[in-house]
Amino acid sequence: MTPDRRLAWWLVWAYPPRFRRDVGLGLVDALEDRMRARRAAGAPAAIIWLRASVDTLRNASAEWIDCTRDAVKGVRDNDRRGRPSGHPNRGRTMIDKLRQDIKYAIRTWTRRPAFALVAILTLAIGIGANTAMFSVVNAVLLRPLPYAHADRLVTIWGLATGPQALSGNPHMLVAYQEYREIARQSSSFDAVAMWFSQSVNLTGVSEPQRLIGSFVTGSFFDVLNLRAERGRLFAEADSAPGTVKPYVVISHDLWQQRFEGKDAAVGATMTLNGVPLTIVGVLAPVFDVRTVPSEGWFVGYDVYIPAAQFPARNLDTVSMLSVGRLKESATMATAQADLEVIARRLQTLFPQTNTNRTIIAESAHESIIGQSRTALFLLLGAVGAVLLIACLNVSNLLLARAIDRQREIALRAALGASRLAVTRQLIVEAGLLAVVSTTAGLLIGRWALDALTMLPRPQGVPIPQQIALDTTVLLFTIGTAIVVALVCGLAPAVRTSRPDLSRVLQAGFRRGSATGSRTRDILAAVEVALSVTLVAICGLLVQSLLAVQRAPLGFDPSNVFTLEFRLPQAKYRTPEEIARFFQQAIERVRAVPGVQSAALVRAVPFSGNWGNTRYTVEGRTPPAKGSEPQTRYHIVTPDAFRTLRIPLLRGRDFTDRDDLSARHVAIVNETLARTAFPGEDAIGRHLTSPDAGPEPLTIIGIVGDTKHLSSTEPPQPQLYVPHYQFPLIFASLVARTSGPPMNVSNDVRRAIWSVDKDQPMWKMRPLDELVAASQGQPLFLATLLAVFAGIALLLAGVGIYGVMSYAVAQRTHEIGIRLALGASGQRVLGEVVARAARLTGIAMFTGLVLAVAAGRFVAAVLFGVRPSDPSTLAGAAALLAIVSLAACYLPARRASRVDPVVALAEE
Amino acid sequence: MALRPIEFHILLALAADERHGYSILQEVAELTDGDLTIEPGTLYRALHRMLKDGWVVESARRPAADLDDERRRYYRLTPLGRRVATAEADRLWRLLAVARQHRLLTRA
Repeated sequence: MTPDRRLAWWLVWAYPPRFRRDVGLGLVDALEDRMRARRAAGAPAAIIWLRASVDTLRNASAEWIDCTRDAVKGVRDNDRRGRPSGHPNRGRTMIDKLRQDIKYAIRTWTRRPAFALVAILTLAIGIGANTAMFSVVNAVLLRPLPYAHADRLVTIWGLATGPQALSGNPHMLVAYQEYREIARQSSSFDAVAMWFSQSVNLTGVSEPQRLIGSFVTGSFFDVLNLRAERGRLFAEADSAPGTVKPYVVISHDLWQQRFEGKDAAVGATMTLNGVPLTIVGVLAPVFDVRTVPSEGWFVGYDVYIPAAQFPARNLDTVSMLSVGRLKESATMATAQADLEVIARRLQTLFPQTNTNRTIIAESAHESIIGQSRTALFLLLGAVGAVLLIACLNVSNLLLARAIDRQREIALRAALGASRLAVTRQLIVEAGLLAVVSTTAGLLIGRWALDALTMLPRPQGVPIPQQIALDTTVLLFTIGTAIVVALVCGLAPAVRTSRPDLSRVLQAGFRRGSATGSRTRDILAAVEVALSVTLVAICGLLVQSLLAVQRAPLGFDPSNVFTLEFRLPQAKYRTPEEIARFFQQAIERVRAVPGVQSAALVRAVPFSGNWGNTRYTVEGRTPPAKGSEPQTRYHIVTPDAFRTLRIPLLRGRDFTDRDDLSARHVAIVNETLARTAFPGEDAIGRHLTSPDAGPEPLTIIGIVGDTKHLSSTEPPQPQLYVPHYQFPLIFASLVARTSGPPMNVSNDVRRAIWSVDKDQPMWKMRPLDELVAASQGQPLFLATLLAVFAGIALLLAGVGIYGVMSYAVAQRTHEIGIRLALGASGQRVLGEVVARAARLTGIAMFTGLVLAVAAGRFVAAVLFGVRPSDPSTLAGAAALLAIVSLAACYLPARRASRVDPVVALAEE
Repeated sequence: MALRPIEFHILLALAADERHGYSILQEVAELTDGDLTIEPGTLYRALHRMLKDGWVVESARRPAADLDDERRRYYRLTPLGRRVATAEADRLWRLLAVARQHRLLTRA
């Protein structure tokens, strides 16, 4: 055979079978002739073959379309006339058979709509939930960050290495002086930048407004490859300390809102934090911030201000977030090695701050989404298990029907029909189920996503506001559909592909064959096992949630109104001016009706704001520079403890007399008192802290421990100093109210405006809402898992019910005989229940083993409960036992009440 | 109703003699001075449809032994196919007559 002819043969294979049979040989000849003629004319072989292939591609696909259209038309004609069209050439091709199987499946469904509806609905819900969950995972975990060279973006952090490092916040911000060394010395980065977002006050406009600004180094735009859509961005030289370039770059949105998108915005002046800044450019939007998780990263701020403008006396010691772009040749490992070398140099350069401190790099993607990985994969795993249970249920239903038909098929097989007919029919039906339920599932998934994004987004699970069903998700769903079809169709197909003819036929036409009951039992047992696992994990999460909610906070968050503000440094230059403003503001707020007490704190608990410092105990040999122990650092006005109801255990609270002229005082919490002065009385002792100046602090009181960042953090040492001795332009107001906290918000604001009419305020919130928000992730996880576990329980119940009632129905005849011979109904009932119990018992054991294995994975999101918590596991098992007993009760009762006369007459 | 050009060409090629597929292609190329090159796939799709509609049939008769290539399948017109071709030729003739009326013909 010539190569041309061989190719022609291959090409003709592309046509539909009917076409091949009718004119295939002729086409092979013609193709070969055409190729030979072209060869004779001197055309190169590649061109000849290409033209033949293109010809085939075009015509074969057209022919397939025609023949499918004919087939569909044929079905419709048949249906209309109720008999096969008498086409003379009509053969039993694959398409015909397929068409028949599909018709058969649809006919079965319309005859038993309840079965079809339940099957399709269960699968559609399962597929929908999976599609929605995977969309979230895809949007959050799988998609790269929407920046150029996203895979090379890294975040850079400080890391405490000494034994005194505080637990709970291992990643520390990078100081400007460290950044400078990294940028200068590292050979692994294309560019490194610092950025830090902070509220800025916009004044000089009709109503003072708070904007969210980001203080950035000029290299920031370079690292992220950002560009200006109008004007220009500022350069590294414009942001360095010492240069006071009054520049600002504004966001696209702010440009549209404030300047209606006019070009005149560039060059205009904005007064931010009391300083007039010139708008040099408008940042081109990188992406729709609603479609990315956690819009708080890198961009999405109103204004970008040179880092040199950061409100601090000495920029060198200011800590900020740091981001860098790796060189193409660099890897995380080389960058890390590089940073370690620099960290050692920093230790000698800045022994005060950098002893026991190293610098690490982490992929930016990991920094942003790393914490949510466990939670999201847990949810994806849970919906996957629910879908699997749904599939097994449908598989069981299909199997039951197939076994019913098996006698008919065995008979047909004995008479010469194809044994594979039933298998093929089952696979086609499972496939059709998968297709229909996937279509419905995509819709459900879309709705579920909308519902999910409408829920309050929990802290710690960054879910974008808008999630698109993109190609990856569609591919995932199609893959899911294939798996669904396989799981649904596999067991029944395998079970019926080789029917044991003699046995089936010997069993006769009685409904007595027990064929397939073992397969069905196994399917039901797997369902139960998976449900036990889900219920157990759900139980762990609920316990964890309860533990989080029960964890003592150390303060009373109910009826507390909070708000944040900052004073413009340009207006309040001296500590005296700041202290005076605060004293006046507090007095006016206390006078507001409905306010019982009020105070200022540097950081409201659970607001996400916090500060750390180091301390040394007076009168002891100080530890090496840089290895001093750390403590949380709070600045509060008098009455803060009373307002937050933090118990004052010993000593006294701060008073108005603890001011700039008085000697410096401090209050410590129990943990700090215990760590710093073990077995001694802390009152009257002295501490020094670099943040509180050189003068020692005299301890005047001891208060109870409080949680500050989350309910789950371990007790931390805490040091309180009086606001009037250490005035800070940042402050938050806390006010205990007699009624609902938000009722006082307008009066409180007016009270502060009566002191300074230019003062914007923000984040007006009740404290208990802050606390509740911090518990959002455990609540979110426990709620979703409870829904999934509920569905799983229901499906497992349906599964057991199905298996049991089928078994009873199959044995009606036998039971009838036994009852007629004098067996008691009780005994029959007992037997049915015992079988269900055996099944459930094995399944429960497997499920518990699975749950313990899965628990190790879940441990990362648990608090206050061990993954192998015996009571939770026992509870899950008990719940499943109840469900499975309830599910087998009806079939068992039916069995015990079989009327022997009816059962025997049934044949 | 008008035929598709390729169908008319096939009918014309088969009008005088029965032919195998490739010789239909050659005939079409000759008839149009090589302007119209039909690819084998296109030809056989049309031929397949015409077979189903009963315009052409596979011929059982073979040409003289020395010209025959025994693998080949020959096709010939059925009476129905001949009537279809005649009808189409008539239709085209009427169109040509109109064209001549409007002096659109360059040839006599």
